[in-house]
Amino acid sequence: MTQADDHLKALFALDEPAARDPVFSTAVMEKVMRRRFQEDVALLSGLSVVGGGAFWLLWPTLQPVVVSLSQGLAPALGAIALAAGALVILGARPSSALDLGS
Amino acid sequence: MSPASLDEALVAAAQGGSTEAFSRLVERHQQPLRAFLRRACGDWVQADDLAQETFLAAWSRIGRLKAGASVRAWLCGIGYNKHLTAVRSAGRERARAAVYEADRDETVDAPAEDKLALERAMADLPAEQRACVALCLAADFSHAEAAEALDMPLGTVKSHVSRGRARLLQALGVCDDAS
Repeated sequence: MTQADDHLKALFALDEPAARDPVFSTAVMEKVMRRRFQEDVALLSGLSVVGGGAFWLLWPTLQPVVVSLSQGLAPALGAIALAAGALVILGARPSSALDLGS
Repeated sequence: MSPASLDEALVAAAQGGSTEAFSRLVERHQQPLRAFLRRACGDWVQADDLAQETFLAAWSRIGRLKAGASVRAWLCGIGYNKHLTAVRSAGRERARAAVYEADRDETVDAPAEDKLALERAMADLPAEQRACVALCLAADFSHAEAAEALDMPLGTVKSHVSRGRARLLQALGVCDDAS
């Protein structure tokens, strides 16, 4: 490398950005995350539309199966719903709520 | 771990969807990319906007980056294409340049004369020549790496660097001790 090249390089180095720039990096990652969120929303929306359409198309075939299953599972589903409700009301801490731990 | 192998590991993780790995790639490469774009377009604000767009595009295209490829060259290539697209919208470019010139005249002080002369000489270079000079003379890219980044033939890069260097030295009034 010649002296002239060194001189050029030294002048170029004056407008070098900082090696670490958290503000810039954060701004970039914010945009990346926003883009990722938009892609996720678009994917989920697409899947919902496709799933809804498929369900609508298959409903005549599925309906008898769902009806027969729901009759058989109704008691179990009722118990599960009750248990889930109890967990929500007790803040998912049944032992402390009922004072079983002390 | 060497910088190249660290890059490779981070790229592999980012290709698997890790935003944390991509964030580290941004941290590692923001400096060379922004420096290149500053020199290529002369407008720091526009250069930073382009750098952000470049990283966003890189996130979308990270799956296409081959294992072992230079991340720095790849990013500069994306950035260069974005810069060319921006240059083509000539009206906006002229408006930004006018604002930049106005700002610059107010902020430059006497000891920065050489720097100002360099910036003006860079601004006079054709876009391709300017990009080659920015990579090879300012950022230590090899001619081959610059050719890969800018998607130009190796001979063209060498010729651009040689001509650009001569014009810059002439503008600075520096004797070319290589010739």
